[in-house]
Amino acid sequence: MAYVVATMNQTHSCSAAVLKRFGRNEAIFRWFAFGAACLVLLVFAGIIAALCNGAWLALSTFGFGFLTSTAWNPVTGKFGALPAIYGTLMTSALAMIIAVPVGIGTAIFLTDLCPRPLRRPVGIAIELLAGIPSIIYGIWGLFVFAPFFQQSVEPRIINAFGDVPLLTNLFAGPPYGIGIFTASLILSIMVLPFISAVARDVFETVPPMLKEAAYGLGCTRWEVTWNVVLPFARTGVVGGSMLALGRALGETMAVTFVIGNAHAIPSSLFAPGTTISATIANEFTEAVGDLYVSSLIAIGLILFVITFLVLAAAQLMLRRLEARAGGRNQ
Amino acid sequence: MTEKTPADLAKRIDIRDLSFYYGEHRALKDVTVPLYERQVTAFIGPSGCGKSTLLRVLNRIYELYPNQRATGQVIFDGDNVLEGNNDVNLLRAKIGMVFQKPTPFPMTIYDNIAYGIKLFERLPKSELDGRVENALKRAALWNEVKDKLRQSGLSLSGGQQQRLCIARSVATRPEVILLDEPCSALDPISTAKIEELIDELANEYTIVIVTHNMQQASRVSDFTAFMFLGELVEFGTTEKMFTSPTVKRTEEYITGRFG
Amino acid sequence: MRMKLYARRRLRNGIFVALSIAAAAFGIGWLALILGTLVIEGASGMSTTLFTLPTMPPGSSGGVSNAIFGSVVMSAIAVAVGTPVGILAGTWLAEYGRHARFAVFVRFVNDILLSAPSILVGLFIYELFVVHMGHFSAIAGAAALAVIVIPVVVRTTENMLLLVPNTLREAAAALGTPRNFVIRTVTWRAARAGIITGVLLAIARISGETAPLLFTAFGNQFPSSDLNAPIASLPVVIFQFANSAYDDWHRLAWAAALLITFAVLSLSILARIFESKRISQ
Repeated sequence: MAYVVATMNQTHSCSAAVLKRFGRNEAIFRWFAFGAACLVLLVFAGIIAALCNGAWLALSTFGFGFLTSTAWNPVTGKFGALPAIYGTLMTSALAMIIAVPVGIGTAIFLTDLCPRPLRRPVGIAIELLAGIPSIIYGIWGLFVFAPFFQQSVEPRIINAFGDVPLLTNLFAGPPYGIGIFTASLILSIMVLPFISAVARDVFETVPPMLKEAAYGLGCTRWEVTWNVVLPFARTGVVGGSMLALGRALGETMAVTFVIGNAHAIPSSLFAPGTTISATIANEFTEAVGDLYVSSLIAIGLILFVITFLVLAAAQLMLRRLEARAGGRNQ
Repeated sequence: MTEKTPADLAKRIDIRDLSFYYGEHRALKDVTVPLYERQVTAFIGPSGCGKSTLLRVLNRIYELYPNQRATGQVIFDGDNVLEGNNDVNLLRAKIGMVFQKPTPFPMTIYDNIAYGIKLFERLPKSELDGRVENALKRAALWNEVKDKLRQSGLSLSGGQQQRLCIARSVATRPEVILLDEPCSALDPISTAKIEELIDELANEYTIVIVTHNMQQASRVSDFTAFMFLGELVEFGTTEKMFTSPTVKRTEEYITGRFG
Repeated sequence: MRMKLYARRRLRNGIFVALSIAAAAFGIGWLALILGTLVIEGASGMSTTLFTLPTMPPGSSGGVSNAIFGSVVMSAIAVAVGTPVGILAGTWLAEYGRHARFAVFVRFVNDILLSAPSILVGLFIYELFVVHMGHFSAIAGAAALAVIVIPVVVRTTENMLLLVPNTLREAAAALGTPRNFVIRTVTWRAARAGIITGVLLAIARISGETAPLLFTAFGNQFPSSDLNAPIASLPVVIFQFANSAYDDWHRLAWAAALLITFAVLSLSILARIFESKRISQ
């Protein structure tokens, strides 16, 4: 070390002090950065801890029955999570059933069928749509969609299914306008741009040469898409869809206004129901009594577990895709 | 290029039994070669022979990456550079490096040059201005940029950017300058300018240049080392290496039998 | 036979093309419908009093000035707190942690947080702040928003830093620059546009968040600048007004919704402009 300092001193001044400063600054910066990374973990752990802590009372009082009970009575102090869980899962599932094919179709349109000058503006429009806050969908659903649905659409569907043997209960009246089906539709419109954007990004990674080879054989557009593009993009699209599902499960505002807020598992899709996030949003600030509050946090914990599982699975799928893509590029 | 015999010259850097590992793979095998003071030493050889790897050992830039390690001795000013107790930042101020692709920092031309100086020294502005001007003059760039020192370094052409990088290295007053294929991304005119520059810089600095262009090696260097598959095959004065190499493989490479 | 097979293939292709166009029209159609309704309904509620008067009981004409103030203040605090944390964490992931197991774990957790239900963030801050302080507060609201900002900034910062070529880092290191100085003076500067884009996107995201504010900042019908007290915010006001039975409150809800959408879209467009500047560099 001495030799370097000695030679440095000919041309540089205060080298020893400089080196000390370097070392100290490096350590400080690195620790701050590391601390910030740890803070991310702390927040995550904090959320889990807060949810478990708050839910403890309800879970210890009701045990596993909490998950299967349909009761929800603040007066008698009996609470059950099943209607909320059902609502969350049902609205998300229905939303995905609609949004995934439509989203993929939109992405196919964007990457293949759309006239070139329109491609960028339409793509940008879809991405901007993905950024619209969910409360906008919520009030639009409440003031515009639900009344329209109630007056024009639901009566027709109810009549149409009136005599169909198995499905008549699924689409039975009265036409509230709000309810599980409406909430699912609003949710699907909300999730749609996200799926389109993800699918489009994945489609654009398909090597053009692969498509050209298929076209060169005389394949139609549909055949190229079905046989070449979709299999190639499969993991990415599935991963992206699961990410969208994770968001749909936790969505509050788009659903709260139109779900109807009834703690029940209705047989008809047109009847009101509830979701976990809608329940919490509507009742938390007015909940009186430790058990009531704890039950609300408990269903929040259940929501956390559900979304965590879905999001983790989506992450693993997308990481595997990235690893494969990296390998392919070598 | 002046003709000197090794006996007259001091070794600025003495490389002895240098081995290098990327993980388990051994990329350099017991390389021993001297780098003489104020001479230009060129390392030539086919792709993958280890010449860039060797260069990157000299200023320990490989330490930025995990799973890479070097064993052996690199004697610089009486100490083994590879032994951990030497401060790597000071070492790099004394051994400068210019890379294959020009890499100007996203700052003004002035700040690019002043960057290395300000790391180690606190100078009044006038002195700093003088050092920047000096460095740019040594890199034969001063006349072209003296009126636009406040413009971004990225606004220069490729050849100018590379000379900017050379000026940046020279600004810290190094003793050795390492050049890793400095002209491979440049057009012939910029290449010629930089080769001229190397000739001038050799008056003051010890230059080590890695190049895959044999003609360039024969043009600019005093000594040449030929490497193949991680081993030093032959080392000697450039004239001897290119006219009458001793080892057959050297001759085969130089005459283009393989490459 | 060949022609019959081909005709069938062409039919299938035609159906497919038609369905795709229908899908795109469906998606974009709803966008146009929603935005159109928003503009029409929101515009009718627009006036200067929207910005100058605070929320009032139904019947007396009011505005949403206290809500705008509350949203701006809480967002500002959230960004001020969340951005440095996010940038530092993203920097650690990209420059120091890289592929280490711990870094992989942090990345995984961060991406979960990114898509986690924001109402749960609200519950977390409720337990952490509101229960201990004994009351709702703007600070709690800002904290909830900060928790949403951080993962967004971490992800975009890391992505942008990874795009900076290694040769730039090597060139700085070759001058004898210590690592943290390389990051602070060269790498961050090179990634600056992208990092700013990330922050803009984070702001756009929290501008519309309602659920996490419902039981942290709660809401306040009166103008307040006390950070230690409940405070109004645009999304929560929309929630309350829309759920009510009063027409003038409904109108205000639409106008406020238009405000939020306008802010979010402006920020997104601004972020895109920054993004294209970065690419052109």
